[in-house]
Amino acid sequence: MFIKIMEIILLLVAGYAFTHKLLSWFFIKTGKKLGFKMEMTPIWKKRINRFKSIKRGYYSFIIITTLFVVSLFLELYVNNKPLIIRYDKNISMPAVMDWLDGLIFFKKISVFDKKSDFGQIGSDSVDYRLFAERCKNPNFANEAIKTKKLEIEDLKDELKDTPVPDKYASKEEIADYNDLKTLVVNIEKEIAEIRENMEIFSSGKAWIIMPIYPYSPYEHILDLPQRPPNKPYLAHPMGTDDSGADVLAQLFYGFRVSLAFALIVAFIGYSVGVIVGGIMGYFGGWIDIAIQRFIEIWGSIPFLFTIMIIASIVQPKFLLLAVLLVLLRSWIGITYYIRGEFYREKAKDYVQAAIAMGASEWSVMMKHILPNSLVPLVTFAPFGIVSYIGLLVSLDYLGFGLPVGTPSWGSLLDQGMKYIKYYPHLIIIPSIAFAFTLFTVVMIGEAIREAFDPKVFSRLR
Amino acid sequence: MHGMTTYFLRRALLVPITFVCITFLVYTVLRLVPGGPIEQAELQIKMAAMQEGGSSGIVDVLGELQIPEEALKELKKYYHLDKSIPVGYANWLWKIVNLDFGRSYIYGEPVLKVIISKFPISIYFGLIGYFASWLICIPLGVTKAIKHKSSYDTATSVLVFIGYSIPGFVACLILLVLLGGGSFLDIFPLGGFRSDNWAQLGFFAKIMDQLHHTAIPVFGYLIGGFATMTILMKNSLLDNLGSDYVRTAFAKGLSEKRVIFVHAMRNSLIPITAGVGHAIGLLFAGSFLIEKTCNIPGMGLLGYTSIIQRDYPIILGTLVFLVLIRLTGNIFSDMIWALIDPRIRFGK
Repeated sequence: MFIKIMEIILLLVAGYAFTHKLLSWFFIKTGKKLGFKMEMTPIWKKRINRFKSIKRGYYSFIIITTLFVVSLFLELYVNNKPLIIRYDKNISMPAVMDWLDGLIFFKKISVFDKKSDFGQIGSDSVDYRLFAERCKNPNFANEAIKTKKLEIEDLKDELKDTPVPDKYASKEEIADYNDLKTLVVNIEKEIAEIRENMEIFSSGKAWIIMPIYPYSPYEHILDLPQRPPNKPYLAHPMGTDDSGADVLAQLFYGFRVSLAFALIVAFIGYSVGVIVGGIMGYFGGWIDIAIQRFIEIWGSIPFLFTIMIIASIVQPKFLLLAVLLVLLRSWIGITYYIRGEFYREKAKDYVQAAIAMGASEWSVMMKHILPNSLVPLVTFAPFGIVSYIGLLVSLDYLGFGLPVGTPSWGSLLDQGMKYIKYYPHLIIIPSIAFAFTLFTVVMIGEAIREAFDPKVFSRLR
Repeated sequence: MHGMTTYFLRRALLVPITFVCITFLVYTVLRLVPGGPIEQAELQIKMAAMQEGGSSGIVDVLGELQIPEEALKELKKYYHLDKSIPVGYANWLWKIVNLDFGRSYIYGEPVLKVIISKFPISIYFGLIGYFASWLICIPLGVTKAIKHKSSYDTATSVLVFIGYSIPGFVACLILLVLLGGGSFLDIFPLGGFRSDNWAQLGFFAKIMDQLHHTAIPVFGYLIGGFATMTILMKNSLLDNLGSDYVRTAFAKGLSEKRVIFVHAMRNSLIPITAGVGHAIGLLFAGSFLIEKTCNIPGMGLLGYTSIIQRDYPIILGTLVFLVLIRLTGNIFSDMIWALIDPRIRFGK
């Protein structure tokens, strides 16, 4: 237990160092190599310092970014497959392969470990947790050998009692006698195999490194104390859901899915919104009016209902769902602000100078105006992320979100709804995780807003 | 003509255009998507026919949803699937204009009748929730603005942020778990609009029963708008407190109470009052989740179940209603705004 806690702390510290020291250093280095300046303008420096001085927001930022970066490596520490497993000459790294599988999405490289290759009987996938137990206790089969030996002695006694068939013996008697003999030989062979198996375990030729939390959200655990769902108990500190999958593992994977989804939707949505809003603000005139009318119409689509209708027909995957959300909603909000910023910036001298020097319209928009109108983008991003996480959870809850089987908070809530009377943990646990995540992101958003757009209210009294 | 009148005329003219655009979009999606609803329905019918020689039930052996054959024929006729998309759409639109929404084959009744029967329930919860949030958010926002940057302000801000990070339906779920019987307290019923034995109850028992069923969903609606409304109230009052006319009022020697509650409050309430129209639209958008969670048989639950049961006449009918409500709500908001805020004159 103590070791586990130390491992978790170590993981988080490493995650923090990796995210906030190594990654930022790496970004600046490569940026400089690629020829970018990688230095902030004084006004951005001031804003960021102001943000850092708002402690609650800054710490929330560190917590969320660290957790998210750490969660990118989830397969390596929350998984039912080992990091590395060795049995005699067979070595395999299934968890690492799982992780690479997520990284290299176009090719399937995860491995399949047959039971017979790893000292277990059968040809399906190895029971790694059993393997790990045997590593801890190499004398696991002593009992089994004892009973087998007793069996053999019994058989031998029986063999003694039965007369050796002579030539007058009937065919059946001969067959019985031979059967008994082969049975003894077979059991002796089995004992030898088990001994060999134990030898490998006790001589250190078999070892395994299991992840810190040895359960996967995709695994339907079979050896549960009762029919799933299970309430929280020692082995599964947050219980299991009704398919026997561990809730804690689902929470972790759900965190990653939700945040990644929200980031992707926010990113694509903002890219589209910046381009559209930029065009509106920069060109103005009838283009502006036409797009405004279009947005007015498009924005009146009852989009939750529309997404539900579409999702009920096409059953979207992760990326398609993100694109749907972008198309129907997330690009709209930011256009107003970007339009206003572009409109204001365009009238300024530096833009006129750039135009006079013959810069193309695209480069004026993207290189000159955009860097000066980033404030709304940065201030709205956290609130956008909050609402997209909420949307994904809502859609999953309604059953129109990610494909069935994807670990997600919404589907846990949906299950909780089913078992609301007897299994409250299925609602309470994901709700807390969900509220905690959103709360930290809201904190970041509030701090960013205060740092970037400080409002000073003057009052007489 | 007066500027305002032309502005609202133009807005009103935009309603049918918007309406046509949205419904056309959804109609096209439903027709075009590979393996779209109609095709799927047809496939299911064929499968069922192969399996058991022409079934006409709603649910087949496998528990899969089935659309009965007569209903499919009706569906095809109603949506003009034999014609091209624009022609089919125009025909469908003409029927909608004549208030012919088709027949639901789950309820076996005209769509319009089903929707209208669900409408009051949604409005009941939505309005109570909305006005409850007024009752709480406005005083909270005002006191926060008056005590800006005090410890009271910080403490309530935490509350506001927590409210912002918990969506209404999750709040409902948590409350149902904690108070709805089962593992913890048993104070409120587990959802529903009224008890089953509502008709036999006495007058006061009826009221109590209704209130019992109302509390949790209303809390969900309340949480949904709580943070934004409180912050809106606070910021708008703060803005006004910093403006010149407030300074003048103070300079005249008026008491702080009078300045804040008579002079500044009046103008600070404008953005919130004007939000009523938008809120009407939003009440129905958010209600899918809350109505599903609390099992309230309103518009939201109707839309949700119709999608799950593939009752297309109801789906499109609900969509038409949602769009209309939202569009009129938006115009309504603008009108209120123009009425109560003398500074705003649209169309000039």
